[in-house]
Amino acid sequence: MADKEATVYIVDLGEPMADCHNGRDESDLDFGMRYVWDKISTTVAASRKTWTVGVVGLNTEETDNAQDREGLEGYEHISVLQDIGPMSMSALRDLRSSIQTSHTYGGDAISAIVVALSMIEVFTKKLKYNRKIILVTNGESPIDDESSEDVANRLNESNIELVVIGVDFDDADYGFKEEDKSKSKAKNETILRKLVEQCNNGVFGTMEEAVKELAVPRIKPVRPFKAYDGVLALGDPSKYESALSIHVERYFKTKRAMAPPASTVVVNPDRGGPSQTQTLDEDTEMGGAEFSGVKHMRTYRVNDPDAPGGKRDVDFEDLAKGYQYGRTVVPFSESDFSVTKLETKKSFTILGFIPFSSYNPFINMGETGIIVAQKHNEEAELGLSALIHALHELESYAVARYVQKDDAQPQILLLKPNPAVEDDFECLYDVPLPFAEDVRSYQFPPLDKVLTVTGSIIKEHRLLPSDDLKEAMSDFVDAMDLSGFDVDDEGKPVEYAPIDELYNPTIHRMNQAIRARAVDPDAPIGPPAEILLRFSNPPQKVLDKAKSEIAALIDAAEIKKVPAKAQGRRGRKEPVKPLSGLDIDALLGESKRTTISLDNAVPEFKQILATASDDATIESAAKQMGEIVRKLIRDSFADLFYARAAENLRVMREELISLEVPALYNKFLTGLKKSILSGELDGDRREMWFKHVIGGHLSLITQDESEVSEVTADEAKAFAA
Amino acid sequence: MAWGGDEDRRPEADEGEEELDEADYKTQKDAVLFAIDVSTSMLQQPPATDKKKSDKDSALAAALKCAYQFMQQRIIAQPKDMMGILLFNTEKSRFRDEAGGRSGSGYPHCYLFTDLDVPAAEDVKSLKALVEEGEDPDEVLVPAKDPASMANVLFCANQVFTTNAANFGSRRLFIITDNDNPHGKDKTAKSSAAVRAKDLYDLGVVIELFPVSHSGRTFDVSKFYDDIIYRDPAAEAGSSDDVKTSKSGDGLTLLNSLISNINSKQTPKRAYFSNLHFELAPNLTISVKGYMPLHRQQPARTCYVWLGGEQAQLAQSETIKVDSATRTVDKSEVKKAYKFGGEYIYFKPEEAASLKNLGGKVLRVIGFKPRSLLPMWASVKKSIFIYPSEEHFVGSTRVFSALWQKLLASDKVAIAWFVARENANPVMVAIMPSRASEDDTSDTPYLPAGLWLYPLPFADDVRNVDLSAPPRPADELTDKMREIVQNLQLPKAMYNPLKYPNPSLQWHYKILQAMALDEDVPETLDDSTVPKYKQIDKRVGGYLADWKELLVEKAQGLMKSRAVKREAEDEDDGRPLAKRPKPAAKKVAGGQMSNAQLKAAFEQDTLKKMTVAELKDVLASKGVSAVGRKAELVEKLEQWIEENV
Repeated sequence: MADKEATVYIVDLGEPMADCHNGRDESDLDFGMRYVWDKISTTVAASRKTWTVGVVGLNTEETDNAQDREGLEGYEHISVLQDIGPMSMSALRDLRSSIQTSHTYGGDAISAIVVALSMIEVFTKKLKYNRKIILVTNGESPIDDESSEDVANRLNESNIELVVIGVDFDDADYGFKEEDKSKSKAKNETILRKLVEQCNNGVFGTMEEAVKELAVPRIKPVRPFKAYDGVLALGDPSKYESALSIHVERYFKTKRAMAPPASTVVVNPDRGGPSQTQTLDEDTEMGGAEFSGVKHMRTYRVNDPDAPGGKRDVDFEDLAKGYQYGRTVVPFSESDFSVTKLETKKSFTILGFIPFSSYNPFINMGETGIIVAQKHNEEAELGLSALIHALHELESYAVARYVQKDDAQPQILLLKPNPAVEDDFECLYDVPLPFAEDVRSYQFPPLDKVLTVTGSIIKEHRLLPSDDLKEAMSDFVDAMDLSGFDVDDEGKPVEYAPIDELYNPTIHRMNQAIRARAVDPDAPIGPPAEILLRFSNPPQKVLDKAKSEIAALIDAAEIKKVPAKAQGRRGRKEPVKPLSGLDIDALLGESKRTTISLDNAVPEFKQILATASDDATIESAAKQMGEIVRKLIRDSFADLFYARAAENLRVMREELISLEVPALYNKFLTGLKKSILSGELDGDRREMWFKHVIGGHLSLITQDESEVSEVTADEAKAFAA
Repeated sequence: MAWGGDEDRRPEADEGEEELDEADYKTQKDAVLFAIDVSTSMLQQPPATDKKKSDKDSALAAALKCAYQFMQQRIIAQPKDMMGILLFNTEKSRFRDEAGGRSGSGYPHCYLFTDLDVPAAEDVKSLKALVEEGEDPDEVLVPAKDPASMANVLFCANQVFTTNAANFGSRRLFIITDNDNPHGKDKTAKSSAAVRAKDLYDLGVVIELFPVSHSGRTFDVSKFYDDIIYRDPAAEAGSSDDVKTSKSGDGLTLLNSLISNINSKQTPKRAYFSNLHFELAPNLTISVKGYMPLHRQQPARTCYVWLGGEQAQLAQSETIKVDSATRTVDKSEVKKAYKFGGEYIYFKPEEAASLKNLGGKVLRVIGFKPRSLLPMWASVKKSIFIYPSEEHFVGSTRVFSALWQKLLASDKVAIAWFVARENANPVMVAIMPSRASEDDTSDTPYLPAGLWLYPLPFADDVRNVDLSAPPRPADELTDKMREIVQNLQLPKAMYNPLKYPNPSLQWHYKILQAMALDEDVPETLDDSTVPKYKQIDKRVGGYLADWKELLVEKAQGLMKSRAVKREAEDEDDGRPLAKRPKPAAKKVAGGQMSNAQLKAAFEQDTLKKMTVAELKDVLASKGVSAVGRKAELVEKLEQWIEENV
């Protein structure tokens, strides 16, 4: 939320924090800092001026705090490492260097809390803030608990939350207990636990739990956004007395969250010459001024036959705005510009009602809204409630036309009643529906029968499931049911993968990696957290349960993978025939084609290859096709024939790959490149080469595409460069 | 999909690289050439009758009207795709006015009325003149005495495609004719037509036949056209690309029948992805193709026009990247980094690639759930349609069909992990079945039968709407509302999108067309999304009036009981509070102040005694922007109270 925050972290830097405990190979400090860095970097990521952070070091060599300066006792070895303020990357870097274990102890944790407390009090005054102190310690240095009650009272008065997270502190709820705990640590734990208990708002926990929870993605809370505040009408209140209007508010219920966008940057030019650019790939130091953003500048060109290259630049000031109607451009003056926008008035009106049974969710076009009555408006509350209940009882939805604000595009929304049967929330949900233009009529053959050419219906066919297969599928689907995956404390079934457990893997993978890199620029990126890939495979428990059903289904399905080779060569064995089955090749008979004409190159080339019986024929066809390509390029006025030449090349490439003679193509293309780049095809034909050949993926055939090719991927890359 | 007003609230990505959507899929352009038969029988006027729904058009006029409508739709929906019209069996011949003046000679009785291209305003205009005003100054629509050779017609089409749409992914020839046997017993002519048809097939052009049957004659495709038409090589196995004959009857005019047949082929079937491995269980994989039968159509973007020349010309823009010192930056210098705490966090390209990779392209079932378990609010974006393909796994279709039948029968959905392409972002989907359109129980007769990948929201996408809306019991108001709902069903008790064209889109292109063709700009739009107010009044006006009366009565009751309750509460703990000199507004935290309390505070002029935080709370709870100094906030709140309470 956008509330202001003031958080002070107290980090124990005493000598014992440098030790490793309980089988960990990192020091207590590093272990604890995992939690702290994660929290602080989350704050940095938010880039909010009102989210402020302070850091206090406990058990530091030096002493640097206001209380000590005032001459108060018991505040030694406590240093303010960072005053409360917004957190930036440079502050984060400074902090990294000051978080080091010392060789002292003798700092008092409760005194440190007082230091943090006064920092917050001074900083936040009486303003509205979320105040918080987080203490991270392993509790090895002695604590004086004399004043703990006073401290707790002051924390409560100032409305500060106290979070104590101890390395290897016992936590019965979480189920952690450190054996062979030192007596002093046990005593300190008790003191801190008591302190937290005295606070109105306190948390006491063990570090292991805290660190484990870091992997659980945190979802950025967003303040509800009110999209609409106005009337939901049935009928036209301005024309008909009977018309009904209910004052409602509409909020977003779902809104797609996006992964952090990447920015386009360059290495700052004023930071040295090309040598630095070279080393940058290795040099991942997060220098403050190392990168800078890239701006985009647009230039505009128009066709001009008299200009060199057929195009010339024009000034942006000389351009009018317009729209395209087919290939005609229609310019608009600034004043006319809005006429193409439909004038609409903010409104929300019901078109009519449909039964539940006539709607399917897959026609939804987007995000969901939520509609409630205007607050403190009794008529609206009762009116909307009656509509919700009536819809629910009749199992009906309302269809409405929605205009969010004046001159916005109208949408059609489906309104679904939620009469608060399962939750305590009575409302309408809405989803956008498609318009006529949004539906493309694609035709597909039916799935439960096969129609023959003569129009008769076949119910048994290799494309249709047998009764065995249907039964095996049915058993399989039922066995793999997720609705009763687990049971909760009350013995009720709990479904697997409910929506509140589905974290967007892309967003959290990115965020975790960015935070980790910000804290430690030199560390390699780790694997994605397990929780993010949790739903990428069926749960083992279900697979085990459904083992026999799966085996039965595999048996009944009789799936056969088509070998990779056959996919490419398919259709080559049998000549293609029209519906009547007429053999066109036989029809051609004696007049079989052997030469390729410019006008009909593609069909003739394909037909010659389809019936070619020796290599010489193939070679001759390829040669003729090559000549046609060169001719098209040579004769092309500007880029007129480029697309056609490219299409001929494409067909040539495809056919020669499937005939396994890639060398013919590669040889031709090497020659073509030379001809184009040397300008021997009547002028500058580089556009043909770069845009159509390279850009159109028509470069050399590599070994990846055809086993018999002698060109490696690297060679092809060099060739295309 | 982003929607009008919501759109600007989305964080702008520097470069939209995340979403592999429509853009990718559109690179496959479509070119359609209409070949329309201009024979005497095509020109024959239907017998005059008084019946309202009888034909008024000759077969030719109907065909041209179809082409005209197709052209207009194409400009709106597929602005990059091409179209052309070739008339055959015309007395006149015309190909192109190519240099060398060999016009027409190559293809006698073929008249290229509109060359294959993205339609221009002039094309629309001349076709419109021919169709609507019957203007035919060049006497094009005069049948030839000797019919054209079909081989020639087909080769003419071949040339049009070869030159104008050389590398289009989809090229289609629409033949509209009423003659099922153009060459009678002439075997040679038939054979050469078959050869030219094979050429078109090899060129990658698909022939779609739209036979017209009128005057009681039937159209027998086996006489001639079975030698001409090939099965779409990319079509699914078991497909029956049956040719539908257009004719009048069954309350349908010839025109409507033809329009419906052509519309079904309007958009070429473009796959959004193909050969996606669909893993039902470990070691059980089939392959599917994906399509997007639903896609939000938006008006085209604005462009920049250069008016300095004789004709308005589209200015092509080029972007160059510059750094802070406006130095042009080379492509090789550009790096991707993430903004973080005011600085950039950089990953090496291989690191960035590994971050994106959360598993390869796949559709993997993790289990099944009853459909009822999906919360009704769980919607984020449009669904994708999948259909089996035998290309990579033989047997895919039957397994797919078995799954489809089971999901329909048990009303279940599959929950699956879905990565549409390599490096695409993974999403969770619910796989849902749709019924066949000819199935009477289908709720989506405008969509094909198959499975749909319905994207589920992530936890990240769900807004926590922290509102209080306590449930209330159903009462008399509910009973009365039921009557209203029952009497206002939409036609056929369903929402059929085809009946609701998008008014913004229609208006945009209406205006554009009028401006492009120099016509009068229309004043109004026939907007079918506006409710039928008159009908509503007529059908439920009486019920509504009763209901409203009852509502007012009930609301007053509720208001009174609330006031009583508040007084009681105030009295309970009211004493000490009342003694305090604090303003009434202070009693309750700002956000919870009722409208009545606010009004009281307003009238007593105590609003300005509230703190800034309280003011902000109240304003936020009313949906008013809570930005500004205290005085401004007070003013905003006063204004709100005046307007709303």
